[in-house]
Amino acid sequence: MTTNGSGANGSNPRLLEGLKFLDLTWYGAGPIATRTIAGMGAEVVRVETEKRPDGLRVAPPRPVDSAGYNVSGYYNNFNTDKKSVTIDLTTERGHELGIELVQWADMMMTNFTPRAIRQIGMDWETVSKANPGIIAMYQPMQGMSGPHTEYGGFGAILGTVCGINGLAGSEGNPPVGVGTNYTDYVVNPIHAVTGLLAALYHKRRTGEGQMIDMSQLESSVAALAGPLFAQVNGAGTYVREGNHVKYAAPHGAYQVADGETSEGESRPDRWLAIGCTTDEHWRSLAAAAGHPEWADDPRFATLADRKANEDALDALVAGWARDRDGDSLQASLQAAGVPAGLVLNATEVLADEQMVDREYFRYLEHPEAGLRAQDGSGFKLSKTPAEPMRHSPLLGEHTYEIATEILGLTPEEIGDLVAEQVLF
Amino acid sequence: MAMALEGVRVLDASGPIGHYAGRMLADLGADVIKVEPPDGDPARRWAPLLPDVAEPESGLQFLLLNANKRGVTLDVTQPRGRELYLELVKSADIVIDSLQLAEATELRLTSDDLTAVKPDLIHCSITGFGLTGPYANWAYSDIVGCAMSGTMQLAGVQEGPPEQLPDMQGFHSASIQATAGIMGALIYHQATGEGQVVEVSMQEAMSISQETAMMQADILGTNRERGVPMRGLDIPGLGLHEAADGHVVLVASGLAGSGFPGLVGLMAETGDAQDLTEEPYTTFIAEKMNTNFLMVALADPEQAAEVQDVMSHLDQVVRDFCRKQPKLYLYEEGQKRRVLVGMVSTPQDILNSPQLEGRNWFTDLEDSGRGVTLRYPGPQWQLAATPSTLRRPAPLLGEHNNEVLAEIGIDQTTLSALASEGVTA
Repeated sequence: MTTNGSGANGSNPRLLEGLKFLDLTWYGAGPIATRTIAGMGAEVVRVETEKRPDGLRVAPPRPVDSAGYNVSGYYNNFNTDKKSVTIDLTTERGHELGIELVQWADMMMTNFTPRAIRQIGMDWETVSKANPGIIAMYQPMQGMSGPHTEYGGFGAILGTVCGINGLAGSEGNPPVGVGTNYTDYVVNPIHAVTGLLAALYHKRRTGEGQMIDMSQLESSVAALAGPLFAQVNGAGTYVREGNHVKYAAPHGAYQVADGETSEGESRPDRWLAIGCTTDEHWRSLAAAAGHPEWADDPRFATLADRKANEDALDALVAGWARDRDGDSLQASLQAAGVPAGLVLNATEVLADEQMVDREYFRYLEHPEAGLRAQDGSGFKLSKTPAEPMRHSPLLGEHTYEIATEILGLTPEEIGDLVAEQVLF
Repeated sequence: MAMALEGVRVLDASGPIGHYAGRMLADLGADVIKVEPPDGDPARRWAPLLPDVAEPESGLQFLLLNANKRGVTLDVTQPRGRELYLELVKSADIVIDSLQLAEATELRLTSDDLTAVKPDLIHCSITGFGLTGPYANWAYSDIVGCAMSGTMQLAGVQEGPPEQLPDMQGFHSASIQATAGIMGALIYHQATGEGQVVEVSMQEAMSISQETAMMQADILGTNRERGVPMRGLDIPGLGLHEAADGHVVLVASGLAGSGFPGLVGLMAETGDAQDLTEEPYTTFIAEKMNTNFLMVALADPEQAAEVQDVMSHLDQVVRDFCRKQPKLYLYEEGQKRRVLVGMVSTPQDILNSPQLEGRNWFTDLEDSGRGVTLRYPGPQWQLAATPSTLRRPAPLLGEHNNEVLAEIGIDQTTLSALASEGVTA
């Protein structure tokens, strides 16, 4: 367990050391991108207001009997290593300070709608005039042009429009989606990181900054494009098929016996995911299951055969798995080289042997929320680790520091601006 | 126009878990060479298949994720094949592969082996569980990543099984994380001339997609279950609704947008607001129809009982209205009035999307090798000065063997010999 930044990054070089980044994002898709940039060592300054705080600051989960803007696990997992300054950009003086931050920054990012971007005066024309070399990413739901450019919404809206609800689940069940605002957490933010760093690479080669127009809709569809690419190019209309896929069988989640939690309580609803992409996987499964005759059954000889008889195939595997211990099944299938893994819940992921061995989760002490698990970096860099090192900022935690050190304000000026509700 | 990664050479020797990573780098302008075994990457034969095109050139997922790359075939299990592979590594800035620890060790193609011939190499490894730890050599497929990252636990309906995420999100998450890591490593190389290893585990790559589940387990010790909305609220104007030709999702009871009053306004325009423009509903809607009020009210049984009848009526009126209208109407007309509505898009709806069409997002590209013209989805972002481009279809099997090997100095005679010895074919 790694606490308080004493971990992987410690004495290693940071690859974005010295890079200044202005963060005008909120919710998931923006903040996870800037968290990743911050993890790489950039100085990320997040402008927030108490008038309209990031909705995740007040969203669950939070520790029992805690309240306020600083205790949400939802927010705190997505904003590590950043600084928070509270400025009301909708005031005239606040906007001037915002523009000074634009001039300070090498890069900036916002995921507001075009309308809100104009309201805070952070459109590309204004920003590039103030800082001609800047790289600015605009990441609204629909992009910065087109008939739907002003459409608003969070992950729940985007998920439906980008197609995830229409792709997931089984025909016959309502299109409820995948239980989360899925594209908010990897697809859109981490795509964004690549776009930002590509622009930085170009800037460092040529000196040229640029605007990046990133539509969360396009980014999401790009990562879900297989079915529509097939459909538009003549492979037939997409049909929702639950846990089945066209290129593998057996392929699904098979219920196993109830288990036990580490506290000795019953753990019902346990499932084992299996995905046999080759005939060899299937033969190995049959052998590991103690049913070598399955492999000889002509109904299941090839992938085409198994797909044609998939109900019978599933019934066979499901019947075998149903009352057996999931851990033993996982171990025996893996020993036989069959792709198989238990459907873990979050408690089990946190304690998973592999995740623990690789120190994926980072444990950071937060002044109001306590010692908390944070997602680590989704990629491990051998020389310049990008793991989270410092807890997410309290709302306005760095206002004084930024006002004096970046904006050059005196304590008296700061006092006046607080009284005018420009700074908080 | 300039391309961001112009002049950067990538060797993409990955299996299906890494195809998308190489594709993104290629879109940004890198010269990406797909390295496959002589019988081809397995995804070449994965359905759905392109009609009227023969194996192994018809796997649509392969065609999608390997466009913009050149392709060579090389049997790296043969000494001569491995030697040539290392020659290609020398010519590359970045290598992407998906060899698990045991395979890489056996083939002598670990990071150490690669950097021995190219000291400043960026080596990206994308596998199910990473190169270290007790599961380093575990077998994986996409659904195993969905399962072991905790994301699958959240998807599906209560009475059914946990469900995979559609269209290989385990593989895609791994590739997306890898690409960001590679870009970071490239920036560091630009500054210092040093390479490094970028290592991705699919299980880790997807973990943050558990949304709040991990934090809830850590903070409260409880687990989210599938089929239960995050806030557990069942109130009018929130969630999935049937439309005349499909479904829409409404988020019209929050504080964002024009909220429930906006929705009533939309319904009134077609005469479908029924009595919601009259008392007692107008006052109730103005004062109480927002999640902040209702979350508190519904937690108290007495207050909940008081509002329940009114809420049931509102819910009925909204559902009646939605069932009468096409989903595109509800989506566009709602959004124009700042009511948060999303339509549940099918692949065909996305292909017909006025917004994607308005931004010219799809591109048609001729594929002369296969005798077809295919329509491709567009890029993830538009870099104004260095836009992503679509320049060539996915390579035919071994299409660029001669071209690429000639670039590292292999002459015609040797090329023919390599093919007949089964090194490249």
